[in-house]
Amino acid sequence: MAPFDYLGAIETLHELRKSGERKSGLVVSLGERLLRDYTGKLGDEVWPVYEQVFISALDQGNDALAKTCFEKLEKRFPGSPRVKILEGMKLEAEDKLDEALRLYDEILEKDDSNIAASKRRVAVFKAKGQDQQAMETLSKYLDDFYNDAEGWLELSDLYLKFHLYQQAAFCLEELILLQPQNHFYHLKFAEILYTSDTSDNITLALKEFCRVVELCEDHVRALYGIKLVNYYYFNYFNSVI
Amino acid sequence: MSTVKVGKSLGWIGFLLLFHSAYSTYEHLSYLKAVDKIPNYMPIEITVECLVSVSICTIGIILAAGPLKPILIKHELAKKTIDEIDTHPSFNTFNHRGRLMKCF
Repeated sequence: MAPFDYLGAIETLHELRKSGERKSGLVVSLGERLLRDYTGKLGDEVWPVYEQVFISALDQGNDALAKTCFEKLEKRFPGSPRVKILEGMKLEAEDKLDEALRLYDEILEKDDSNIAASKRRVAVFKAKGQDQQAMETLSKYLDDFYNDAEGWLELSDLYLKFHLYQQAAFCLEELILLQPQNHFYHLKFAEILYTSDTSDNITLALKEFCRVVELCEDHVRALYGIKLVNYYYFNYFNSVI
Repeated sequence: MSTVKVGKSLGWIGFLLLFHSAYSTYEHLSYLKAVDKIPNYMPIEITVECLVSVSICTIGIILAAGPLKPILIKHELAKKTIDEIDTHPSFNTFNHRGRLMKCF
């Protein structure tokens, strides 16, 4: 068997932490080995790795691993709000959603600027299937923290679930204001406009698709979007004549 | 030999030459003081050595720095996949089929 490449594993976990990708299987398989045999090599980075592996273990339903990670974190940081959030996530994974919600409310009562707790509340409403409530809570949260790109992205996804294209497009407009260089927001905005299907929106969608190609050459999805808009115009003019 | 290694050795050579020219200047000035002359010019060898060493140093550093990266943020963003951008980890929920599909 090849020796375990622990430096590569540390690097991969770090990258995944930064990008926020949901690759729980990979994180658990690398993190389990890393935390078992190489805790000394991690130094101070061991705590974020414990947190990351804990969340991924919950995602995978690996309760034993989650428990060991949580115990380590709780012992090191007793009473920390960040660990409390993790405790709430554990309750969520055990399907004790009301208890989790109570815990988050408690954290928010003490410190109403706790961003993670506000976001987890939205996730609990989502898990309960109360999407309306989740949307209300999230928009209230975004009133206070309007520069949270992740929140706007989530809100647009929730709106799209209910085919509320106009509202979803508004969220994407906010995102474009926050990060005008990010081609993906332009792409999503264009696709929402194209889907909402009124001729004004189609013109704007074409503009946005072109903007994506400008920001990121050879973007196949955007090029295909331009093609679709062209079809739309072709049919539109044919029907007029 | 790789460019980085060439660059590093050039950088060191340039640095040593620069150090040598500085030392020569010091020697020259102390010599002029000893023989009671006014230090109003520098010998051309020292000036040339100083200039040449600085250019060697610069070339060495440019070679050692490796390939340059584009400065615009759009090049960096163009490399990212949708999975990396369209992700909201703070809103992940855990009541999904992952628990039942542990083996994967």
